[in-house]
Amino acid sequence: MASSESFNILIAGVGGQGVLTLSRIIGEASLASGLNVLVAETHGLSQRGGAVVVHVRIGDVDSPLVPLGEADLMIGLELLEVIRNIGYMRRGGFIVADRLIIPPSIPDVKTPSLDNVIEALRGLDVRLTVIPASEVAEKLGDVRVANVYLLGQAISITKLGSIIGFDGVVKVLRGLPNPELNLKAFKLGYMGGGFEC
Amino acid sequence: MGYPEVLAEPGSKVLMLGNVAVARACLEYGVGLASGYPGTPSSEVVEALAYAASKLGYPYVEWSVNEKVAFEVAYGAAISGVPSVVSMKHVGLNVAADPFFSSAYTGVEASLLVISADDPGMWSSQNEQDNRWYGVHAYIPVVEPAGAQEAREAALEALRLSGEVRHPVLLRLVTRVSHTRAPVTVGALGRPRLRGVFKSIPSRWNLIPAHARRLREELLERWRRIEDLVSRSELNVAEGPRDSQVVVIGVGVGYRYAREALRRLKAQVRLVKVTTPVPLPSKFVLGEVEGRDSVLVVEEGDPVFETMIKTLLQEVGLNTRVYGKRSGHLRATGELRLEDVEGAIAQVLGLGYRRPELLEATVKPPPRPPVLCPGCPYRSVFYAVRRAVKRLGLDVVYSGDIGCYSLAVNKPFNAQDTLIEMGGSVGLANGMSHVLGGRVVIATIGDSTFYHAGIPGLINAVYNKAPMMVLVLDNGVTAMTGHQPHPGSGFNAMGGEARRIPVEDVARGVGVDSVYVAEAFNPRDVEAKALSALRDVGEGKISVVIARGPCILMAMSRARAESIPRPSYVVDSSRCRGCMVCYKAFNCPAITPSGDGKITINKTLCTGCGVCERICPFNAIKPASYIDERWWNLLGLTTSSVGGG
Repeated sequence: MASSESFNILIAGVGGQGVLTLSRIIGEASLASGLNVLVAETHGLSQRGGAVVVHVRIGDVDSPLVPLGEADLMIGLELLEVIRNIGYMRRGGFIVADRLIIPPSIPDVKTPSLDNVIEALRGLDVRLTVIPASEVAEKLGDVRVANVYLLGQAISITKLGSIIGFDGVVKVLRGLPNPELNLKAFKLGYMGGGFEC
Repeated sequence: MGYPEVLAEPGSKVLMLGNVAVARACLEYGVGLASGYPGTPSSEVVEALAYAASKLGYPYVEWSVNEKVAFEVAYGAAISGVPSVVSMKHVGLNVAADPFFSSAYTGVEASLLVISADDPGMWSSQNEQDNRWYGVHAYIPVVEPAGAQEAREAALEALRLSGEVRHPVLLRLVTRVSHTRAPVTVGALGRPRLRGVFKSIPSRWNLIPAHARRLREELLERWRRIEDLVSRSELNVAEGPRDSQVVVIGVGVGYRYAREALRRLKAQVRLVKVTTPVPLPSKFVLGEVEGRDSVLVVEEGDPVFETMIKTLLQEVGLNTRVYGKRSGHLRATGELRLEDVEGAIAQVLGLGYRRPELLEATVKPPPRPPVLCPGCPYRSVFYAVRRAVKRLGLDVVYSGDIGCYSLAVNKPFNAQDTLIEMGGSVGLANGMSHVLGGRVVIATIGDSTFYHAGIPGLINAVYNKAPMMVLVLDNGVTAMTGHQPHPGSGFNAMGGEARRIPVEDVARGVGVDSVYVAEAFNPRDVEAKALSALRDVGEGKISVVIARGPCILMAMSRARAESIPRPSYVVDSSRCRGCMVCYKAFNCPAITPSGDGKITINKTLCTGCGVCERICPFNAIKPASYIDERWWNLLGLTTSSVGGG
């Protein structure tokens, strides 16, 4: 990454899905690559099952928040949250998201269907990859590794791969609790390009 | 939760939150005591120091009962010669304001660093107050860092300044400094000063009017000296061309936004970074502003600096234009955004600036407010209390408070008619009780909030005879901010054992005759006790119901640690009649309609609390496996109360 370049990532999901953990992994891998990085987290009230979004900015950046319309990559752990944050996306930017909708816990709430949401996203000027991350993660034994599965995919198809590197992420994952499962999910996500819809 | 990064090797560069960088600076300076009350976005400062204390054996760290006491704890140590720090969220300083103002009059013997983490944008707060005003108001200097690395430097400098002038210093953080993780290069740990000496100087430590009048004169003199010191502070710097007609002043994190915005606009403009906004570093500011056409101030929160600089310009007879929030160049509410700052700078420079046209989806997402977690004991409590209210046909007012239970403000509970400030539930209920005639007032307050500011309101109710039911939701910790301990927890900030002070003992001790303790995870028990309590209120009594059951997140982590299996629950669809009580009235996030008019339980979200089984009118919800009795014990349930498991 050239010294004057930057890369903006948005990680969107629901409280409890591992949004913060994923942002930390990217942050640690960036630092290990000798890059400047800012990870603006969401804590407290909003975390309790609510919409959570973390801004990760890598490179020549000073301010903690991704400007609207300038995210190069959005990693979506849930599709309604992808839609909610769509205004952050740069035209032609990448979205790597789980094929998952978690209806909000409000009685009688109207939730758009999976197909409608995916169709709406397809109509936009973004490069969309929707993969069944939580389904795969559940088969692996823990739905919480859906986040690193998505990261694997994002590393393989976007510039993030050349910025923080496959090996850089592997090193960070080795330091996590349950490294084997995380590594397995990450590598599977990296290779799992076949799920594109 | 661990904060190993706070003890990183000297000279190393590690990723840490701004809050943790501040904690590190405290260790580098050699702070001997730290206190605080948890509150987003401040909590990690004390948490990280408590983590350090558990590894190093120092400094002394505590979660105090509220911010006022926390302030006094640190103040008492600082006037006894031990460098001390106290941390709180912005609204916490309102609670601590009384000793805060006095501390400027007496000054201190060793450093007293007061940390206020403000929450512009109100991510987790009831207001957006800018605590730099407190510095102006109380004559206490304010230091305001731009990011995580700067937070370390600013905290160190604030501690030095406080020690040098023997005066408290306020470190103002904001959400995007406190909760942004960034690379921080750390220094060596300092030698802590843990023991002090108190020198009795009656004319200094006793704020009787005769002393206070003299101390005020001294305070104003000290304030001038501080102004001189901050005017020469190396934390305030300028960059870029000296001859530009426009100067941009970035205060605190405002500097970060301004710097990136100027770079993106490729504008050759003088940029001033201000880290010590209060008192206004007048000489430094004049040196940068004199002879320019206009100044744009970029600051998070209120136009504090903008207002002060206008006063200064008037005083010295300069007519430099000052732009910022008062002029409408920047929004007066919410957080700063890079694109807003870029637009404001472009406007002042007369440059064209176009925001990108944003993508918009044809599908709109439904709102997703934060909700009580699946398995939260409070869901069961609100469900049961509402049933009791309905059975008695009462028209009640729910006077609410600050904590996880605030989330009952939403449907289907609608059990927070007011939600104002810490302890406000009981206080407001006093007034309502006197004027609402037949309407019963139910004050709902969490355990931590009860200890914090609920007790005086309860004493007032007993003393002034204000009949009400006080529902204390007791999950054993300060849950919303990350499970910090409190006087009811049985342990302290550093993980040591502590004497438990049960809410029921406090209630009885202050003269409440009608006290009930219920098992939170047992809605039948809560309902029965709420019925009795509400009848007592009808007889003019003050009644306290303590609904006790651990935060499910704590219970789950204990179950993991002790290898206690958690049950999961399933629906017997032959029995489910689709009445939707569990979905619509109980509203557990793990329960959703299945499409065939019945319901289904998401096994990833299900925590195994079992309350849905207890409330299902048709016995259609059953555990999928044998239940270990220790799980019920963890939830504070007796086997008999759950019908044998």
